[in-house]
This record gives sequence, structure tokens and C-alpha cells, in this order.
Amino acid sequence: MSKIDLTLRTFLLAVTIAFLVAWAALGHAATAPDATALLKRSDSYRNGWPAYTLRVKITNYEASKSDEEHLYEVSQKGTDKTYVEFMSPREKGRHLLMLGDDMWIYLPDTSRPVRITPLERLSGDASNGDVARTNYAVDYSAEFLRAEKLGSQSCYVLNLTAKRKGATYQRILYWVRTEDARPLRAEFYLTSGKHIKSASFDEYKESAGHLLLRKLTLYDEIRHNSHSVLEYSDAAPRNLSDKLFYQGRSDRF
Amino acid sequence: MNRQCLIPMILLLVASASAQDPPPPAEESSASTRYSLAVIDDATFYSGVPAHAPQILNQLLLEPNFAIRYKDRLTFSTSLIGLSATYDHTASTLRVKETYAGLSAGDFDISAGRKMVRWGTGYAFSAAGVLDPPRIPTNPSDRLNTNQGRDMIKADWVHGPHALTLAWSTAALAPAHSTLRDTTAFRYNVLVRGFDTSLIAGNDRGGDTFGALTFTRVVGQAWEVHGEAVWREQAAALIGAKCTLHSGVTFIGEFYTPPSTAYFRDLSISPLAGRQHYALFNAGKSRLRELPGWKEWDVSGSIVANLDDRSFVAVTDISRWFGTHFSSYVHIEIPHGSNTSDFGSARYDTATSAGVRFHL
Repeated sequence: MSKIDLTLRTFLLAVTIAFLVAWAALGHAATAPDATALLKRSDSYRNGWPAYTLRVKITNYEASKSDEEHLYEVSQKGTDKTYVEFMSPREKGRHLLMLGDDMWIYLPDTSRPVRITPLERLSGDASNGDVARTNYAVDYSAEFLRAEKLGSQSCYVLNLTAKRKGATYQRILYWVRTEDARPLRAEFYLTSGKHIKSASFDEYKESAGHLLLRKLTLYDEIRHNSHSVLEYSDAAPRNLSDKLFYQGRSDRF
Repeated sequence: MNRQCLIPMILLLVASASAQDPPPPAEESSASTRYSLAVIDDATFYSGVPAHAPQILNQLLLEPNFAIRYKDRLTFSTSLIGLSATYDHTASTLRVKETYAGLSAGDFDISAGRKMVRWGTGYAFSAAGVLDPPRIPTNPSDRLNTNQGRDMIKADWVHGPHALTLAWSTAALAPAHSTLRDTTAFRYNVLVRGFDTSLIAGNDRGGDTFGALTFTRVVGQAWEVHGEAVWREQAAALIGAKCTLHSGVTFIGEFYTPPSTAYFRDLSISPLAGRQHYALFNAGKSRLRELPGWKEWDVSGSIVANLDDRSFVAVTDISRWFGTHFSSYVHIEIPHGSNTSDFGSARYDTATSAGVRFHL
């Protein structure tokens, strides 16, 4: 074999190996989607418009038996202003306000708006944060973990890590459908690493031109016989005044 | 592709794009209403009272609330208290807790009538809440909802994180024995770097001029701190904190020092007693979810102490829900101290209140 042939063969082998490596790398890159874009898209199933109102009915179950219902009217403007009015008889007169990382609750029987600490956001079967903080892309950094099947549906698994103080949970494992980033399942973790809740995103429904989440089930992973069903309805875009989101307003409607 | 094909395609694309445009935001429906009704029967049993004094106070309260809002611009709200109290005799009264009308235009809100404002940041004490209902440290949550608002005209301007409020309150309709005066007060409130901060200034007609600074701030995951600094003849100060544990148990602590002036001094305190120092410690948990079958229960306990005469009162609150509309509760107060002390001068050894509430 001539020296030229050997050089040519070595060159061709190197080119082939380089091509295979590049192809494998590109192939891997193609299967690793943009986690942040996916998260933003998945948020659109819960936040249809820049400003909107909706109703949330929460039914708590103990040992598969319905034991209480709560009704809320939620007004949201942008990604960091949420106002929640409590509508059920035992909570009438209560209001919850979220402005960025800050949260207040207005109780009819206290003399002032009460600041809520991040830990208090976790209270309840479905927590204050579960109702009021639905823009995960604002609160969490997303990282693509893997692609897998959830039942019959192909999905991406994202690892969400809290990036601001206002986030309700420290970490969320988030399953979104491959084809349209529709949320399917979530697991919620505390700073200690404790897995406290899981969620299944059960039903979606077209509302004023947007496909929106209609039913979500939250499972208590500490008290395993307890779960809550959140049903969303009457979602509609609204002109919401900034005054609605002013924390010093005590004469709330 | 020729032009004849291109034009219909462009039209189709434009049509489909316009079909996907979000619908225009809807205005609030023309009128919306809210209402609620509470009926409370509360019986308080006193022990250690003088022999001639009745040992039971029974109060039956009917509390309707109604509000209507028209197109986000006009508001009318009313909240009444019907009270029938039986002690040594039976007396019935009708009180107006709030009744006011409001007009909203752009960044401005104007309201007139009797209404509650809440400017103080203290839980059990407040010096800065110049137009607030009175704080009663052993009953900070006004458990029977009998507090009444002040008669006032109030104008608010809210823009972004800034809010300016000007209020003028008249004492013309206050009860004859009341010490209220006509009050003009101004408040600037701003949320900056997590500090919810207010500057308050004003004047009581024929009385004092006052100024105050208040703040609240959340620190870390579990803590909230709040405070007030007030000047009214002399300085008054309050500092407090709330801490929440992972278990949901919440602790509140407050330290409050008012001067010995007519405005701040409690009736049970001698004018010669000088500046007073108070402390509050409260621990509570709502919904004992961790205990099977105790989800409907709320419990809390407090100690309110006068640090100067070493008197204190221990307070316990326990409540339970029954279904959606009914709840019951027990509220116990046990004062301790010498007969001339702030809390020890109470005319009973123990006051135990038990009651039933109906909510609609």
C-alpha cells in the first residue's frame, strides 16, 4: 500500500468518525428540547390571557369521600398580580393578594391585611400557592431531564427549581406532553427534599378560543388518604384595574 | 404560483390570523353583588364576680352584609349589627358597622359614609391606626365582629406601588360617651423591596397633631416582622414578628410601649403610672390536619402582659366547624395580677365564652 493510500484512508476514517460524532451530537441536541420554552408554553394552558378572571372550585376528599368544598374567584393580571376572593360561606369576606414575591390575606375578623410567609403558602390541602401562583416560568428555572411515556402519552420530564422567593415549592418534577407541552403530571418537593404533593392534570376545555385546564387533582403524599380536586370554570379575559391589586386597600368588594 | 391563486391564499391567511386573535377583554358585568349573614349566640360565664352581679352574659347577634358594585365605578356597601344582650336586664341595639358609597374614576377612589380603615400594622396593639377600630389585645380578631367604622370622607389615589389617601372623619355621629374627635389624616403607602411602608400624618380637631411610620416585611421562608413608630405628644412604638413552622403552627410576638398620655392610656392605668410596656405572645394552628378527625378544629393560646405591673391575662380560643354553615367556639380569659394592676383589676377570675355561629 502506498503512503498516499494510507494517508487517504486515515483521512477518510477520520472524516467518517468526525461525521458520526457530529451526527450523534446533533441527534442528541435534537432530542433535548428547550425546557424554558416548553415551560412557557405549558403555562399557557392555565393563563389564557394577559388579564383574566376565572372560578376555582376545590373539593377535598378524605378516604375517597368528599368532605368539604371551597369556591374562589381568581383575577390575574400579568405574571405577578393575582387577587383571590373566597366565595364559600365559611370563608366569605376573605381575600388573598399576590404581588410578585409578596402575599397578603385579608380576613374579615382581623384588624389589618396579614402578610403571608412562604411557608404559610403551603397550608391547606390545596395551598394558597396552588390557587394563586400558576405561572411556573416566572417562578422556576426549567431543565430537561428525559423523555418517557406516561401511560400511552409521550412526554418530556422537566426539573423545575425555584428561582425566586415567591415560588410555592422548592422543586417540581413536571411531565408535559411531547406534542403540545400540555401538563400531564407534577410532583412537588420542599427545600428538605420531602415529596409533599403530586398533581394530575386531568381535563382541558376550549374557553374563548383557548384550550385551558379544567380539572386538576392534587394528591397529598404525606397523608395518603387525602386528595383535592380543583375545577376551573368561567375563564374570560377582563380589563382589570391596577387598583384591584393594591395591598393597602381594606374596603375590598 | 400566479397572482389569482396568491390573493385568495393571502385573504385566507389574514382571515385565519384574525380568527386566532384573542377576544377583546370583557368589561365587568354591569352590576355584581355580594352578601353574607352571620347569626351568633354567645354566652359568657364569669367566675369570681361579686355576689350581686349576674354570672352570665348572653348575646345574640344578627350580622347582615350586602354590597353592590356597578361597572367597577360605583360601590355601595352596608354591614349592620343587631345585638340583643341579656345581663342584669335585656337590651337590644342596632349598630351600623359600615355603610358607605364609593366612586372610582381612573386612579382615584372617593368614598363617603361609615367605614373601617386599617392603617395600623400591629396584631394586638396599634398606635398608628388613627382611624382604625380599637385594638383589644385579648380579642384582637374581634371575635363577635362588633367593631364599628368611623364616619368619613376618604379619597385615594393609587398608581403602581404608590398610594395616597386623604381622610376626614367626623365625630358628630359618634356615641355621646365617645372620646372621638374630628380627625383629618393623610397616608402615603408604598411597597418597595418587600417593605410595605406607610407614612401617616394628621390632626385631631382641638387636639393633637400626630405622625407615624409603619412597616411590614417578610424575611426568609418563615418570618414576618412589623412595626410602628408614632409621635403624638410623645413617642409610642411597636415591634412584632410572626413565625410559621413547617407544621403550620404560627407564633406571634409583640412588644408595645405607649406613653402615659390621655390618648394612649388605658382606663385601668393610673395617670401617674408613667410609660407602660406591654408584650404579647400567641401560638396557634388552624385546621389540625395532622390529627385524624381534627381537621375542622382551630386552636390558639395567648398571653398578654403588662411588664410594668406584672399583670397578665391568659387567653385560649378553640373552634370547630360543623359542615359548611355552622361553627362553635370556646374563648377563655384568665386574668392575673394585683387588684390595682392593669389586667388584675378585672372584676372576674375567669370569663368563659361559648357560642354557636351560623354563616350564610
